[in-house]
Amino acid sequence: MILDLHNHSIKSDDGRAKVENYCQWIRRREVPIDGFVLTEHRQFDADSDYRALEDSFGILILKGSEVETDYGHVLVFGVNEDLLHAFDFTRLDLPLATVVRESERCGAIAVPCHPGRTRVGMCAHVEERGPVEGVGIIEVLNGGSRGTEDHDAQALAGKHGYAGIGGSDAHIVSHIGRCATRFPRRIKSEEDLVAALREGKYEAVSWT
Amino acid sequence: MAGPSFDDLEVGDELPEFKPDVSMERIRLFVGPSGMAAGRFTDHEAARKEGLPGAIVPGILSAGILAGLIHRWAPGSRIRQIDTVFRAPVLVDSHPLCRSVVTDKDESDRTVEVDLTITNEQGETRVMGTARVEL
Amino acid sequence: MDLEALKAEWVGLDFDEKKFDLSAEQLRVFAVSCGEEEPRFIDPNDPDFQAAPTFVTTLRSARVLPSGFPNLGRPFDAGKKVILHAPIRGGDQLIGRSRISDIYSKTGRGGPMIFVVHEMEFRNQRDELVAVVDSRQINQPEAK
Repeated sequence: MILDLHNHSIKSDDGRAKVENYCQWIRRREVPIDGFVLTEHRQFDADSDYRALEDSFGILILKGSEVETDYGHVLVFGVNEDLLHAFDFTRLDLPLATVVRESERCGAIAVPCHPGRTRVGMCAHVEERGPVEGVGIIEVLNGGSRGTEDHDAQALAGKHGYAGIGGSDAHIVSHIGRCATRFPRRIKSEEDLVAALREGKYEAVSWT
Repeated sequence: MAGPSFDDLEVGDELPEFKPDVSMERIRLFVGPSGMAAGRFTDHEAARKEGLPGAIVPGILSAGILAGLIHRWAPGSRIRQIDTVFRAPVLVDSHPLCRSVVTDKDESDRTVEVDLTITNEQGETRVMGTARVEL
Repeated sequence: MDLEALKAEWVGLDFDEKKFDLSAEQLRVFAVSCGEEEPRFIDPNDPDFQAAPTFVTTLRSARVLPSGFPNLGRPFDAGKKVILHAPIRGGDQLIGRSRISDIYSKTGRGGPMIFVVHEMEFRNQRDELVAVVDSRQINQPEAK
């Protein structure tokens, strides 16, 4: 099963894509993904209900978040009520250690994204201050990467033994499905996704 | 030239690509009347002194160029809304590529929504956006 | 920087009003610069001659930010949303009214950024709403 793990809709300040339009695009362009995760910036969108779209298009739509930490931006999968009360998703300066630890405690999982990106990725921060305990997975393929950013992320993963995921970081409809993650098992829910990520059997894939 | 017919269009259809002229000569012609004659747009050296990699194309010109791309594809169409995000500078004297694709159709008012991008020579997205166009 | 206090003080505040007398030549030059080719945008003698859609982004208020607004760092244009309601013609006299419609912060490749959204509403000499432009300005406090 292939899931694109990093996307934004109009719920994000810089997102311009309606979720229905992502679905239409995936079907019309035969984008080879089975589903995607909406990781809105600095928030968890608890209100939107995409079940009708899932049924209509046969596409799995999951929800996560992209929060901002002292080590750059971090995707959080498996967000639940406990985690929403564990830290303030809107802050720009969350300690990565806290996000990782609290996610683990609440049954979620934190994945630093676009690590090779200046300031908002963890590579330079690790270089400067060392790795953060508890990080086990990073995003090694990001659809918005420039230059050597993905290469730097992969080098970081190799050095520290991190597993790697892929996500498009789409903000407009036509950018979905640029990168994704292939899992050997079936995933039906956020809980399944967290379990699959913990198992460590997956690979980042790219079509760009 | 006749434009595309609304009924024939489908989500996923691509508009013809366009390579805009962003030469220094062209930028200087633009910035005077637009009241934007700042060094960061018209002088590579002055732009570098500001910490930029070179002179940059004004964002509003990028937006205007993308609107022009839509009109070249669909002459006579009416752009109801165009929203552009300037994610990274487009450099003057570079060779960017403008692209657009249909991402939605609204039968009720015969409008289409399109994605818009300007990428640099490395294929990196510098400007992205959307527009709603009445055909 | 207390963002909530900044928002409470400035968001929603109308702070500028400016008149613009538009010449057909001004409209033509902009359209040509953008690579427009249709006579309705580049030929002032065309019966439907009008401004290219994003022309209004060149009409700037007397002030970008209200008087007394704090210096938040070096400003950059982060994007523009233009909603068009009616054609703008050569000879039109527009009034542009400005307000701050949102302030928010995030971190980007350049470090911490504060976004200020400047909304400008344009009406013509018949008081018809012709366009609304949202300008998102990035301010980088570390680059003051």
